[in-house]
Order: sequence, then structure tokens, then C-alpha cells
Amino acid sequence: MMLQLLLAISAVLFCFGLLAALTRSNAIMVLIGIEMMLGAGNLNFIAFWKFSAHPELLTGVMFAIFSIALAAAEAAVGLAIIIQVHRRLRSVNINQADQLKG
Amino acid sequence: MHDLFQRLISLPWDQAPQWFFLFPALLMLLAAAAAVMLRNLIHCALCLTLSFIALGVLFIALGAEFVGFVQLLVYVGAVTMLILFAILLTPASEVAASNNPFRSFQLSKALNAVAGGAVAMLVLAGLLAAIFFSPHAQAAVNPAKAATAPAAAIGENLLNHTLLPLQGTAILLTAALIGAALLAKEDKRS
Repeated sequence: MMLQLLLAISAVLFCFGLLAALTRSNAIMVLIGIEMMLGAGNLNFIAFWKFSAHPELLTGVMFAIFSIALAAAEAAVGLAIIIQVHRRLRSVNINQADQLKG
Repeated sequence: MHDLFQRLISLPWDQAPQWFFLFPALLMLLAAAAAVMLRNLIHCALCLTLSFIALGVLFIALGAEFVGFVQLLVYVGAVTMLILFAILLTPASEVAASNNPFRSFQLSKALNAVAGGAVAMLVLAGLLAAIFFSPHAQAAVNPAKAATAPAAAIGENLLNHTLLPLQGTAILLTAALIGAALLAKEDKRS
């Protein structure tokens, strides 16, 4: 029951992130939503590791650590793209960023 | 201060009840909901920070101390600071939404919110159904021994079993750093 509760909490967090990524038109809010979804994924890794048959193998912990590193890289590149888009368009509204070639 | 810290550490944390982790989880969900709903971007970023702090505390409460502290350092210390800086560097301008084809369509924003909310609710319903009605999840029982992840074991695992992914992550982080600096650099030609 503990595992299911943790997974349900993680699912709710994931859907908050999905809601932010889908409904907000500000690019930074979309990035915040993506970070929330990644956090929910990390929570799933830790929950499955805690209730696995062999927690001493640390598989879920390893996955969570690598996932945090990837999320940091993704946030850095995403924010650099957002700053460049703002420099070109004077706006971070993703509805206006519709050209690949500036 | 040191005395208080010692007393806090010596409390019987490992005998805490099973539902103890519900407090940070609830705080995390509330802060995440606030981050999604609030209009002011700075408030959103601060609520996101609170949500990530609660997530790190939740990791620590679940026995993964190292991941919890990495979460606090990387997300709270670096990622939300980056997001706050990006918000401050990209002020909303008055020419915003000037060439949006849907601008005249007042219903567009409400329609967008309703459609996004419907998709999110559908995904949530699907996930919850899968979680609570899956036979695998119902068969899961609490393991006999408590799961712990000491930092020494994690370091040994990193260097023995996941050395190649570790090196790949190092290359990726270097590439992301250089790429982010190049992308955000002022374009001299224009």
C-alpha cells in the first residue's frame, strides 16, 4: 500500500507538471513543468528502489542520480534557448516562436 | 545551535511511523499546485523551489539520503536559481502577443486551459487506474530489511558498475555547459 501511495503522489506531481507544460504559454513555465515531471520520475525511481526485492543493488538510486544530472543539463540548455528567443523576439511566448531559422 | 543539531540527529528517526513521509509529500503537492496556478512568474519559481525542497526531504525520509541532498544541491541550488535568473533576464515587453494569430480569439486562452486540463486529468486517471488496479502493485509487500543507500556504497557502485554512464554524463554535462554558453552568447552579426 505504501508503494501505491508513493506512486499516486508521483502521478499527481507528474500531472501538475503536464498541466503547466500544456496550458501556460510562457516558455519558462513550460520548462518548470518539465522539471516537475522529471522530479516525479525521480520519485518513482526511489519508490521502486525502496520496495524492490534487492535494495542493496542501488539500481533505482543510480537511475535517480543520473536523471538529476540529465535534468540539470536540460535546464541549462533550455534556459539558454529561452534567453536567445527573448533576444530575437522580445518575448518568451511560445506561440510566437514558430521559426526554426531566425 | 550545535547542541540542538546533535539532539535532532539523535532522535529515533528510523522508528518514525510509516506515514511520516506524507508531510513532505503533501507540502510538495501543494507547492507544485501553487506553482502551476499562480500568474506571477517569480511566485511560480519560488513555489517550485519549495516543492523541490519538499521532494528532497521526501527522498531523505524514504532512506535515500544521498539522492535527497543531491536533489537539494542541484535543483534548489542550481536549477531554480537558473530559472529565477532567466525570469529576471526576460522581462515581459509591451509588444508581446502582437503577431499571435489567435490574439483576436478571446476564447483561445480558456480553450487552451480546458484542453490542457482535460489531457492532464485523463493522464492522471490512467496512471491512478494503472497504479491501484495493477496486480503487480498489489502484490508488492514491504521488504523485511529497511532500504538504505550509504554514500560509500553509491560511490563504489558508480565506479564499479556504472563507470561508462558516469563518463557519458561527464561528457554530456561539458557539452551542455559549452552549448548553453554558446547559445546564450550575444550574436555579433545582427
